[in-house]
Amino acid sequence: MADGTLAAREKRVAELQRLKSKDWFLRISGIIVVVMIAWSWLSSGPLTGKLSPERRWNNFKNFAEGLVPDPVSDSGNWLDAIPWGFELLAEDGLVALLTTMGIATAAIILSATMVLPFLAMANRRLARKDPLGIPGGTTSRAGQWFWRISGPVFRFGFVICRAVPEYLLAFLLISLLGPQVWPLVLALAIHNFGILGRLWGEVVENADSGAAEQRLASGASRFNVFGTTIFPAVFNRFLIYFFYRWETCVKDATVLGMLGLLTLGKLIALSKGFFWDEMFFYIMLGATVILVGDLLSTLIRTRLR
Amino acid sequence: MKRRWILSGVALTFLACAWLLGLKPAGLFPPDAEHWSRMGEFFKAALHPAFEYQDDGVPEDADPIWIKGLKGLFLTLKFAFAAMSLAIPAALILGFLGSSAWWPEPCGPLLKSGLRVVFYASRFFMSLCRSIHELIWALLLLSAIGVSPLAGIVALAIPFSGTLGKVFSELIDEESLHAAKALKSIGHHPFQTFVVGILPGALPNLITYSFYRFECALRSSAVLGFVGIETIGLYIELSHEEFFYREVWTYFYLLLALIIAVDLWSAKIRKHLNPGAESWLTAH
Repeated sequence: MADGTLAAREKRVAELQRLKSKDWFLRISGIIVVVMIAWSWLSSGPLTGKLSPERRWNNFKNFAEGLVPDPVSDSGNWLDAIPWGFELLAEDGLVALLTTMGIATAAIILSATMVLPFLAMANRRLARKDPLGIPGGTTSRAGQWFWRISGPVFRFGFVICRAVPEYLLAFLLISLLGPQVWPLVLALAIHNFGILGRLWGEVVENADSGAAEQRLASGASRFNVFGTTIFPAVFNRFLIYFFYRWETCVKDATVLGMLGLLTLGKLIALSKGFFWDEMFFYIMLGATVILVGDLLSTLIRTRLR
Repeated sequence: MKRRWILSGVALTFLACAWLLGLKPAGLFPPDAEHWSRMGEFFKAALHPAFEYQDDGVPEDADPIWIKGLKGLFLTLKFAFAAMSLAIPAALILGFLGSSAWWPEPCGPLLKSGLRVVFYASRFFMSLCRSIHELIWALLLLSAIGVSPLAGIVALAIPFSGTLGKVFSELIDEESLHAAKALKSIGHHPFQTFVVGILPGALPNLITYSFYRFECALRSSAVLGFVGIETIGLYIELSHEEFFYREVWTYFYLLLALIIAVDLWSAKIRKHLNPGAESWLTAH
């Protein structure tokens, strides 16, 4: 084996040395991360808060005792928890559960629909003077200006939308639109608009563009090409991301209710402090829903791959 | 399945949801004159974020608002960094247990079923951690151990280690196994195989994904303010309660700037680490 000679080996070692990352940006980023982590632990002061250990232990005992369902702590029989659970489900639980799912689904469909028309205008390869490297395209001066600035502008729009935490957005929207369903749906939809914009945008950027180039060269507009050639080609990958975001929406919709309305989060927030057992029941109900949503979306996505 | 069936199904689902929730177009607008004027005020305040407190009750020697806002940002960063520094090691352990690439090659049936049990147990544990939202973990922990920084940090760390661990385990299993096979064949211990043969290859992806999760941690950390932990979310909520909209916008802009900066930072790191990667997030 020629590779086994000492000279070859030394050559290889030198090559590997040369390939070794000397990326200053990464090094500085690493240092920043380490410093910030050290600072975050050292600057906290007493980590466990102001309460004395005994108070904390008492709090914890009360909390742990409160978690046991009410009828069970009366009778000592865990079978009594079953009718208790069904009663909670029938009373509010089921409605809240359906609302949670409904809000998540409506929100993700809404944002997916809204993103589609913006994708062509935000795309790095389409939104430029020469889409996909095909010269020509728009000839009017206004049109050329539009396509020059549209990419950065809409991409920054996506950045802003996904930077806002959905919970904060819902909180602000509720104060403006009143306590109803729309603020929650809109909050989720706006946040996911930004995220889908980025995810789907990357799918389009990485898609094979041969057919699209041909159609552009024969005079089709960017929107036309996006709708008729690119969108059908990337449809499955779009769906994978769609379901991934839907799963996250279900999780977020659950807690948005903690702002005081509609979803499981409301029931959790209302029973907090008084009915630990009920709160725990609703939390577990929410966890089950999310687990099921997780499973469903994983199943669908593996089938789509 | 035909695309048009899927698309019509999606449209029908939306209509069904709208009917179930009672979504009406009228709900998109403020319900009454009071809300209309509030909305006007709110958006007018967006153009004039506060440079001084709107509240007259603030003592003379208090920090100016932008210092307070920056302090809020640092507190927000603090929780995110502390939580991630717990979540990443936990996720590495869980991800290791939840992946199969390092399993020894000639593997007896007994050992194999044992490893399977570990594999599924750790995957189930990760699902459990991440199926409870960080705000609800915070609520539970605050109730159990009282308001403290640690409760906030741990509340963020638990669901994040679940999500990170799941993706880590999948990234590890997608790694090419040539090196691992070679190491196994010359008798390396499975753990050595993992550390030397698999982890280095997966590392760029793991770091990229961790940075993306850090962005999410930052958003969640800000929102923790709403359950009473001192981050910038708390300041926003308190100012909003008093209708000091201009203060709300000041904090809001600061938070937005921070998150966008981290977003750009993490995009740049991704580019430096693996220029050919398809996506910032592998969407598992």
